Amino acid sequence: MDIFLQQLINGLTIGSLYALVALGYTMVYGVMKLINFAHGDLVAFSAYVGLTVFTQFFGSNSTSFVSIIIVFLLTAIIVAFVGVLLERLAYRPLRTAPRLSAVVSALGASLVIQNAIMLIWGPNMEIFPADVFPSTSWNFGGVIISFTQVIILALSAVLMISLYMFINKTKMGTAIRASAIDQDAAKLMGINVNRIIMIIFIVGSMLGAIGGLFIGIYYRGLTFDMGWLYGLNAFIAAIIGGIGSIPGAMLGGLLLGLFNAMISGYISTEWAETFTFILLIVILIVKPTGLLGEKTAEKV
Amino acid sequence: MKLTKIAGALALSAAVATSLIAAETVKIGVQAPITGKYANEGQSIDNFVKLIVAEKNAQGGLLGKQIEVVTCDDEAKAQKAAVCAKKLVNAGVFAVIGSYTSGATEAAQTTYYRNKVLQTSDGTSDSLIKRKYWTFFRNSFPNSSQSDFTAQYMVNTKKYKNIVVLSDYSSYSAGLGDATEASIKALGGNITFRGKIKSGTQNFTAILTKIKAMKPDVIYYSGYYTDGGLLRAQQKQLQINADFVGGDSNDNPDFYKLAGKAADGTVLINFPTPEILPYPEAKKYLAAYKAEYKMDPPSIWPVTNADGLRAVIEGVEQTKSFDTKKIAEYVRTMKDFPGITGPFNIREDGERVGAKFVVYKMANDGTKKVVSE
Repeated sequence: MDIFLQQLINGLTIGSLYALVALGYTMVYGVMKLINFAHGDLVAFSAYVGLTVFTQFFGSNSTSFVSIIIVFLLTAIIVAFVGVLLERLAYRPLRTAPRLSAVVSALGASLVIQNAIMLIWGPNMEIFPADVFPSTSWNFGGVIISFTQVIILALSAVLMISLYMFINKTKMGTAIRASAIDQDAAKLMGINVNRIIMIIFIVGSMLGAIGGLFIGIYYRGLTFDMGWLYGLNAFIAAIIGGIGSIPGAMLGGLLLGLFNAMISGYISTEWAETFTFILLIVILIVKPTGLLGEKTAEKV
Repeated sequence: MKLTKIAGALALSAAVATSLIAAETVKIGVQAPITGKYANEGQSIDNFVKLIVAEKNAQGGLLGKQIEVVTCDDEAKAQKAAVCAKKLVNAGVFAVIGSYTSGATEAAQTTYYRNKVLQTSDGTSDSLIKRKYWTFFRNSFPNSSQSDFTAQYMVNTKKYKNIVVLSDYSSYSAGLGDATEASIKALGGNITFRGKIKSGTQNFTAILTKIKAMKPDVIYYSGYYTDGGLLRAQQKQLQINADFVGGDSNDNPDFYKLAGKAADGTVLINFPTPEILPYPEAKKYLAAYKAEYKMDPPSIWPVTNADGLRAVIEGVEQTKSFDTKKIAEYVRTMKDFPGITGPFNIREDGERVGAKFVVYKMANDGTKKVVSE
């Protein structure tokens, strides 16, 4: 039992990281019908920015509560700025172009960010300082949870709930949902769609930045091409949950992490990914719109 | 009068011709991961080769020709390695140093063989000499020699009862893992689990939790430091009370940085690291390297590659030719050539013989202590 619970914790930790990143994909898709392939690299970029902010401002040993909050905020702001810049330069000029052009632009932006990371920080692996969070961990009858894991799980949950509230309960959230349904109609209702898209990119990038920071703090090793790994998994998570759906991205991320942990724990570690993706393909065959995806009315 | 003019012209043209020959260069290739995960190893291989070439050129070059180094970045990827091989062959190199990983080395081997270009690599996968190409010789020692040593240490010295062997999927790591598994079984050791992890995935908690249920005494990992450090950190985080023994490629300062405090007590089995090499050549070249690049080589691998280059140079000078066939034959007959990494002897099939290993234990502060030889 303790092994099962441990796998559950393992799966939920990596799953919530996927979910945080997946939100960026799904929000952009929801409003713009665009797969923002550069999002994964933005996540890698935020891990690097976080590392630089951390070592520049606080040295590698300071781990006070305030300094960590400052690192998170500063990184989120920088990455949000880059996210908005990305939208302005790579996507806005192509808003009316065929969708394929925007996808190619997204792939190009992904390579630009990836190579920029390599040129700024160098091709070598960069390593996050140890114990950004205290290295305490708790043992519940054989199930071990570290402080870092608790922070990741708790903060991810808080962020996801607040995002859900923001989208569903606020005026701005209503405007975002309206733009997702029909941009032209939203414009006619007096919604500034450009501003909505900017907000989408700010929120998505900030969530990605926090995901990237967690990845850096939890796994420590940063490589310039790591964006592909997390981006791809998060993208798949978004599809499973139903791309465009915010609760779907959260569910998809957690499921992906859980499946992978359980299959490698109980069936086969070598075949874990294969089985995970077979399972996910089955989900899509049964429900092509994803678990929580809404059926869109066909425009004939 | 006319005659002297012709003679003068002839003399002049002869002088021009000889000066042209003197200015002619020979090319040596470096195929190494200059970017990517193993960039610090690849760059160091390149640096070390350039250091030795600069020394040789200052002494008047190789058989009177200046040596030019052509570097190709294979990113430790097989596809890029194949491209590099073609590129270096087209550039006209007569010998190639590298690559760092066995996978990238193997992917380039056939191209060099077909074009009669010498190749020497630190790759330790046993399969590298399987094809018995005369163009290839290894400048490090094969996995099988390391696995025998590792099995001796784990089964006879430490008397571990439940051994877990992990590797990644690369040809080097899987090869070393399999060889170690075989050596442990040959000594009557008990392997509880043999698993593989996917390099670069960063999250190894699932497989480690599975291992935890088996209550092992020791986890042996035959892959690279980029994953080994994380594996050790996550093992400690999951409170799996087993020793951790790492194969040679875990021996890198970044292992300690990745594992943090968890690195304490980690045991690494490797060739002697550069700074403790006792040979006079080692002191000379490592001091020169440090003076030039303001740091030590990250591991033993750039140093064994430097030995490979020195063996090729020795071969050219002793046979007084650039005929690669002759050089390859000469290198195989050298007896105890004084290498930076110790006596250099190459067997008929291109294998380096006379392996020597050291067991290190890592302390809390990242320093390493030799515990046995």
